Amino acid sequence: MSTPLLEVTDLSVSFGSENVREPVLNRVSFSISRGETVVLVGESGSGKSLSAMSIVRLLPHAARIDSGSILLNGLDLFQLSERQMRNIRGASVGMVFQEPQSSLNPVMTVGAQIAESVRRHQGIRGKKLTERVCELMDAVGINEPHEKSRQYPHEFSGGMKQRVMIAIALAANPELLIADEPTTALDVTIQAQVLELLKAIQAKQNMGMLFITHDLAVARQIADRIVVLKEGQVVETGTNEVFYKAPSHPYSKALFDAIPSWDKRLQEGLAPSLDARATLLTVEKLRVWFPVRSGFFEKKMPPNKAVDGVDLEVYEGETLALVGESGSGKTTLSKAVLQLLRPTAGSVHYADKDLCQIDSRQLRSIRADLQIVFQDPYSSMNPRMLISDIIKEGMNAQNVGDSIKDRDDRAAHLMEQVGLEVGHLKRYPHEFSGGQRQRICIARALAVEPKVLICDEPTSALDVSVQAQILRLLRELQDNLGLTYLFVTHNIGVVAYMAHRVAVMYRGQIVENGYVQQVLQSPEHEYTRALLQAVPRLDNNS
Amino acid sequence: MSSYLTRRILYAFPILIGVNFITFVLFFVVNSPDDMARVHLGNRYVTEDSISNWKSERGYDKPLFIALDSAGKKVFTETIFFDKTVRLFTFDFGQSDSGRDISYDISERMWPSLLISLPVLCLGLLFTLSFALLIAFFRGTYIDSSAVILCVSMMSISGLFYIIGGQYLLSKLLQIVPISGFDDGIASIKFLILPILIGVVGGLGHGTRWYRTIFLEEIHRDYVRTARAKGLSEKGVLYQHVLRNALIPIVTGVVALLPSLFLGSLITEAFFGIPGLGSYTIDAIQSQDFAIVRAMVFLGSVLYILGLILTDVAYTLVDPRIRL
Amino acid sequence: MELVILKTDALFFILIASLLAYIFYASKKEHLARPWRTVLRKPMAASALTILAFYLMVAILDSIHFHPEIEGSSSDTPVYSSQVVSLLDEVLKPINKNTETTYSAPFAIYSYAKESRESETGQIIRDYPRLMHAGSHLSDTSEVRSDLIMRSLGALGYWVFAMAILCLILISLRVVKLKSMVSDWQNLGTFFRPSPAQAAAITFAVVCLLISLIATVGPYYHILGTDKVGNDVLFQGVKGIRTGLLIGTLTTLIMLPFAIVLGVAAGYFRGWVDDAIQYLYTTLSSIPGVLLIAAAALMLEVFMTNNAGDFESVTARADLRFLCLCLILGVTAWTGLCRYLRAETLKLKESNYIEASRAFGVLSWSTISQHVLPNLMHIVMISIVLDFSGLVLAEAALTYIDIGVDPSMESWGNMINGARLELAREPVVWWSLFTAFLFMFILVLAANVFADSVRDAFDPRIRELD
Repeated sequence: MSTPLLEVTDLSVSFGSENVREPVLNRVSFSISRGETVVLVGESGSGKSLSAMSIVRLLPHAARIDSGSILLNGLDLFQLSERQMRNIRGASVGMVFQEPQSSLNPVMTVGAQIAESVRRHQGIRGKKLTERVCELMDAVGINEPHEKSRQYPHEFSGGMKQRVMIAIALAANPELLIADEPTTALDVTIQAQVLELLKAIQAKQNMGMLFITHDLAVARQIADRIVVLKEGQVVETGTNEVFYKAPSHPYSKALFDAIPSWDKRLQEGLAPSLDARATLLTVEKLRVWFPVRSGFFEKKMPPNKAVDGVDLEVYEGETLALVGESGSGKTTLSKAVLQLLRPTAGSVHYADKDLCQIDSRQLRSIRADLQIVFQDPYSSMNPRMLISDIIKEGMNAQNVGDSIKDRDDRAAHLMEQVGLEVGHLKRYPHEFSGGQRQRICIARALAVEPKVLICDEPTSALDVSVQAQILRLLRELQDNLGLTYLFVTHNIGVVAYMAHRVAVMYRGQIVENGYVQQVLQSPEHEYTRALLQAVPRLDNNS
Repeated sequence: MSSYLTRRILYAFPILIGVNFITFVLFFVVNSPDDMARVHLGNRYVTEDSISNWKSERGYDKPLFIALDSAGKKVFTETIFFDKTVRLFTFDFGQSDSGRDISYDISERMWPSLLISLPVLCLGLLFTLSFALLIAFFRGTYIDSSAVILCVSMMSISGLFYIIGGQYLLSKLLQIVPISGFDDGIASIKFLILPILIGVVGGLGHGTRWYRTIFLEEIHRDYVRTARAKGLSEKGVLYQHVLRNALIPIVTGVVALLPSLFLGSLITEAFFGIPGLGSYTIDAIQSQDFAIVRAMVFLGSVLYILGLILTDVAYTLVDPRIRL
Repeated sequence: MELVILKTDALFFILIASLLAYIFYASKKEHLARPWRTVLRKPMAASALTILAFYLMVAILDSIHFHPEIEGSSSDTPVYSSQVVSLLDEVLKPINKNTETTYSAPFAIYSYAKESRESETGQIIRDYPRLMHAGSHLSDTSEVRSDLIMRSLGALGYWVFAMAILCLILISLRVVKLKSMVSDWQNLGTFFRPSPAQAAAITFAVVCLLISLIATVGPYYHILGTDKVGNDVLFQGVKGIRTGLLIGTLTTLIMLPFAIVLGVAAGYFRGWVDDAIQYLYTTLSSIPGVLLIAAAALMLEVFMTNNAGDFESVTARADLRFLCLCLILGVTAWTGLCRYLRAETLKLKESNYIEASRAFGVLSWSTISQHVLPNLMHIVMISIVLDFSGLVLAEAALTYIDIGVDPSMESWGNMINGARLELAREPVVWWSLFTAFLFMFILVLAANVFADSVRDAFDPRIRELD
């Protein structure tokens, strides 16, 4: 048995100031061999990023390595000076980060940034340097490397930026590649491509790869071995085959259970479809076009057609999922339905009225029926308002409830309905976790007794286990209150779990529309097919 | 880009008219041209004739904004406001209330102002940027905290103290340079050393802190983390990445100031007896010469708007994400 | 005595009342109380706040004006002098009433300028005369040093006594516990890292010591010398506090409504409202600041010259001029904050909770007052404290070019202005300048340090919310 490439033994890291320290990693151990991919799986706060940053010693100021050792090819990294570490970073260990937007220097050309790494470790200059840069860009699948190398990061798409990051990481032919959630911010189709790329490169260079993710399906695609982290501790390790067939630790099992899927839906007893009901909301030929700012003397640019002729029907009591990747226009559509954005053309019929045509007073009186829950729990509430005031705001505006006492009672009841304590009404948003905040947002929306609730990716920013809880809550509320959901998401698993019908959106238009079972099993449109194809599966190794 | 420039210049017109309007309102709402004539002629020995003479010489004999007894378009054009404003737009500043040609005076006096403000800007920038970079390099250490304390203290000292103290120390005590005054040609250098030195020293505290904040903001960004992951040294990170990004707010900030350099610093010129545009303005204010003040306000506004335009242009040059 | 309320006094007290109201309000609201507690946790900020509090006390004392009774008037029908005098003047009377004839150096007992007088032998000689008041209690001039030392020791004694009483009161009121106090202070000795309370206490004690020294030595010597007409320079410096403080605060009081209303309206309502407001502040800010102030002040000057008879006293006239200066400064200063608030409002409009508000059909006015304004207050706060020191410094510069406060009003700018040429004299007359700069420097430094802490505590990018 040869020495492993990377050996992490009993790594313990703590956070905080001189007096108050909090342990964030507790005796974490794992190893990676050459040519092997080890995936570190965990939810937020599990310490997976910190483990990776400890390897290259790029921890934040407040973090301190308390004990343990990290051996790279038998070399003890903690014994090295900062200067020696700088020779390791980039040359022996390459890193790819999560947010390609902000991880690239906006004022340097892409080529210059790749060249920087090459020059630093391989010392090539001039023409040879340019050639090497183009070679690297080629290897990560960027075509026309020569022209592209002179462009700036903001001219690239998310997927392309991530390819550039990979090129930078590979520039000096490192032995170990650390990828910290590299595909989390990418669309599912792009994610599939980037995962393919990483696997191919790893095989070619025979690198060891440490891949960090919270998504078990993604891990399944790429891992040779899995390490599960919970709150700074390793709770389970195993090979890909063994782990996915039969996870042993209860936490791992809970993680699997939390993943939304069709099977889970059937297990929990949600009907595969609903029989015909009354139509509650009808959207016809809806268009939302944003003018592109053009100057006095400039030629007219074509407008940004975010929503371009959408027809939809939402039946009473159902969950209609609206699926699409970023830029498909799904959020714009949901805001336009609520008239938070004024549509450019088309109509939205609700209760015998066209919402696009009625005046603001009439609209105000209907507003209680149509509510929305947003994606980001951290910016959905006014940080300077008490929870009770947040929940009562809608009630006050829509005159729900007879008196102040009545509204207080309703607010208390709502808190219980969403699974929170009534005593928390007197607190501020920052005192709650992400999942709790979403519950409060749901309570806020329910306060005005809506009939239709638009959920705009309400769980995308949450951990998988928290997501499962929120989805279950939404289902319960639907059963108890007879709510109708327009559920916007990019996650096919959630669609399978929650929805009765699904509409697929691509570039401002609905390309496919139908019952969930049918669309997911036998998609008709080619985009739907490509989308479903790209979704990483838990069952087989594709 | 050309459409942007055209738009900006067109937009400047209503602003300048507005500026002029405000100055007029300020002057004439409280005092009529008659009052002004009285003050200029000395309150005692005035007759109706001398007042009307004084007014017609300077074009103040028409109504202010609206000439109600004229017909048609002349309602607006036969007024002081229209007359003076149109002149200003053609940069015809006319004569000062004491009879001198304003345009000539301005063209003569702007060079001494520049001779001080330009070196102060360049040297000041050089020193403050270097100090700020140094402090950013040593961030979190005692060097950083003591430097910040020093900067705050220097900022808290009035500019007047630097001037007076500098004059006392270097001119009176050590007798290195003259206290104040000005000369032509090469001889002017000895008069410039002290004001420039004091200008730079006075701005060190504020400038260093400001740039330090900008640098520290950039240091905490994600792309710096990527740069470190490449194995770059701290120095390399600072120069190649932080400085280049920090240049965006720095350069655009400096460029905005450039046109105003012509106006000079009022206080510095007054204390050092430099015959620049700053002291020109102060003298005009003190002698209540409205013509000059009006011209200087207009000029100042034009330069300010020019600064705004230059800033936007500068953005396109330093930030590749911005295209006009 | 007959109370006189000057216009600036009235505004100042309104300001104090608002400050107290704000403190009360902030203590109830957690999202405001928390950052303020963070501010007060820093020893430097606590120390700076103590100094600012002292300055504020002086300004308040100096803002209570009245007509004093003329000596010898009966108690039934008192006759009041037309002079306007403040409480501070009364407190500092022992120092103020001793005017000399001309300059004298700090702690001097001889005048600065020579005078002709007759010697014992009948000859006319030119010599430095003894001062009329300072040191006049001394018969032997060599006793100066010992006299000063005695008085200083006396001051020290009073101070120790007063501090001890204060400690006893605090302990008996259970504000401070004796044991913890002793151990805290012992710890302080080892490495100088005072807690905020200790820093404030030390600062307080030092200032009290200074006050004690001034109170005991001041009536007998001119601690900071006298100026050209023999007025005590220390007195002038202290009187200048009100001017400096009021410029910083009143201007802000005047500026805030403009900046907030216009900035929020522009950012929230957009459309023509936005265009109009943008036009307004672009126009105003393109006029060079000093010129605008100068033009406005110039006009005020002409107005006052032409209507000279309208003012009841020199003080009222100076007060009006001062008020107008604050008004002018306020009107020219709002553009910066307005621009900033507009940008923030634009950003806030995009936030989800405001969209949720709209989904409820909440009216604009409600949204602004509940969501926009509270989330802007931190910017307003930071702006207030940052601008304060700039305004204090500006006063000195403006006075120099004659568009500042009236010469009859005590201000540091006036002191600097008058004393500038004194440096050219032989020997140098430095004390007026020094006093003005000293008082100004301490105020501005304290304000800057405090402002830094406020900014660090309130800036959402720096502080941790979760």
